[in-house]
Amino acid sequence: MKRWVGWRKKLIFFALLPAVCIGLTTCGGGGSSSSSSSPPPPVSNSQPIEVDLGPANNYVNGLFTSVTVCAPGTSNCQTIPDVLVDTGSEGLRLLSSAVTLSLPAETDGNSNDLQECMSFADGSYLWGPVATADVQLAGEKASSVPIQIVSANPSYAVPSQCTSGGGSNENTVASLGANGILGIGNFRHDCGTACTSSSTAPALYYLCPNSVCGAVTVGLTAQVQNPVWLFSRDNNGVLISLPSVSATGAPTVAGTLIFGIGTQSDNALGSAVIYTTDSSGNFQATYNGIAYSNSYIDSGSNALYFLDHNTLGIPDCSDNPGWYCPSSTVSYTVTNTGLNGATGPVSFNIANADSLFSSNGGNNAAFNDLGGDSGTSTSSDYFDFGIPFFYGRNVFVGINGQPGPNGSVGPYWAY
Amino acid sequence: MAAVLAAALCGSIPAGAVLGEYANSIPLDQQHLRAQLHETVRQGYTVQRLKSPDGRIVREYVSPAGVVFGISWTGPTMPDLRQLLGSYFGQLQQVAQSRQPHRGPLIVKSKDFVLESGGHMRSFHGSAYVPSLLPKGISPEVIR
Repeated sequence: MKRWVGWRKKLIFFALLPAVCIGLTTCGGGGSSSSSSSPPPPVSNSQPIEVDLGPANNYVNGLFTSVTVCAPGTSNCQTIPDVLVDTGSEGLRLLSSAVTLSLPAETDGNSNDLQECMSFADGSYLWGPVATADVQLAGEKASSVPIQIVSANPSYAVPSQCTSGGGSNENTVASLGANGILGIGNFRHDCGTACTSSSTAPALYYLCPNSVCGAVTVGLTAQVQNPVWLFSRDNNGVLISLPSVSATGAPTVAGTLIFGIGTQSDNALGSAVIYTTDSSGNFQATYNGIAYSNSYIDSGSNALYFLDHNTLGIPDCSDNPGWYCPSSTVSYTVTNTGLNGATGPVSFNIANADSLFSSNGGNNAAFNDLGGDSGTSTSSDYFDFGIPFFYGRNVFVGINGQPGPNGSVGPYWAY
Repeated sequence: MAAVLAAALCGSIPAGAVLGEYANSIPLDQQHLRAQLHETVRQGYTVQRLKSPDGRIVREYVSPAGVVFGISWTGPTMPDLRQLLGSYFGQLQQVAQSRQPHRGPLIVKSKDFVLESGGHMRSFHGSAYVPSLLPKGISPEVIR
């Protein structure tokens, strides 16, 4: 009952102040509100983001924001806080435990709900149905967007293909460390054309007639997708702007998520250089004369994951394998090269992860010098520029097929 | 309510060649992945390369004794590691399921099993090998 009351309060709030507050994530926080008699401000294309320990109070370098979802075409809305901002995936995925709103399911002609298994490189996965919602971010709105609802209590047994990565079903706040994932990466759809043909479709989408789940093909419009490209404007990408942090870290870092690239006064490219990516979102990072072509930038990665401790000559942490623990901070410079030939250096530091984790009594969440192994040897290595890369930078994410400034077309990064 | 255009995909999952076992069932992997098989003989080992229509590539590294000592993968989605790792899958599960919430590559390093899995949606890659099964004089660097 309490949940229902909370939902109702939000509904009334939105109904009272639609012009001022729809989609403004700060509205749900109960802060001071502007007078309803003043003229409505221009529709905003920016909203706050924050690095903090997250809702499970243990996430390092997690970038979070709030997302408002509404039943399509209605003012029945709910603002969900603590959603992870992920430029390494596409589409909104929300824990069922965080969603009190009733959203229509995507179904086939026989009323079977479409299910999805979203797998991650660490072996974990998200399993649950695809629903349709209007998604509001800042003053922007995408209508009838397919999103994934990650089931706390799945209606159907998780298919064995879905568990074949070996990791956990991250269907709780404790396991995911967030209320959901907002995938706003370089692409429009989470799967794309591969999922539209039975000869190329991976086991990503499922139908479960008679409670037996089998993988199916899904057309583009029904796929879970990046809500940004469905906005009526400011729809060619996003800008993530985070300030610098000190070498020992910070408990929180507040920044801004801005929609559109070169579409308004607050999202001009300025001096940022465009690095186009391949069709998978990767570019080349060169270190010590070796080019690592599967490299990428990813706000959903919580550290700088690159090379391996043997190649670098610095130790892994003894108690935290996979994290780097140099005895003193080490500086690196890498040269990134886009598919368009744009090239430029990136410099960063790697500090002792054990020292970082224990700094400030273990209360720091944001570190610009946290690193770990990406592979086990030169042959499997790459650079994954996670959240530390974003501190002190404006990072633009260009969406595939969407025209940007100076004749550019996504997928690209610019910084 | 959007209608879903859907068609069932091939669903059977036969057992196949797995890490640490004899490679004579690789044709079953080929069937599972609906893949083209390509074999390359190198100095001291053989690489069986399986490429499936969705762009996934799995390489199985086979010793002169016929044992799969390493595997690697690349593709738009994660491969079936339960099938490819066989009895080593449990070690992966143990590490993968004990992580504090965060996103990044997965590294498993034990005395008899090494695995790395990385990448992102549309671009996953990784490798695994059994150090004790490496043919004499062969470096794990060949597994790529």
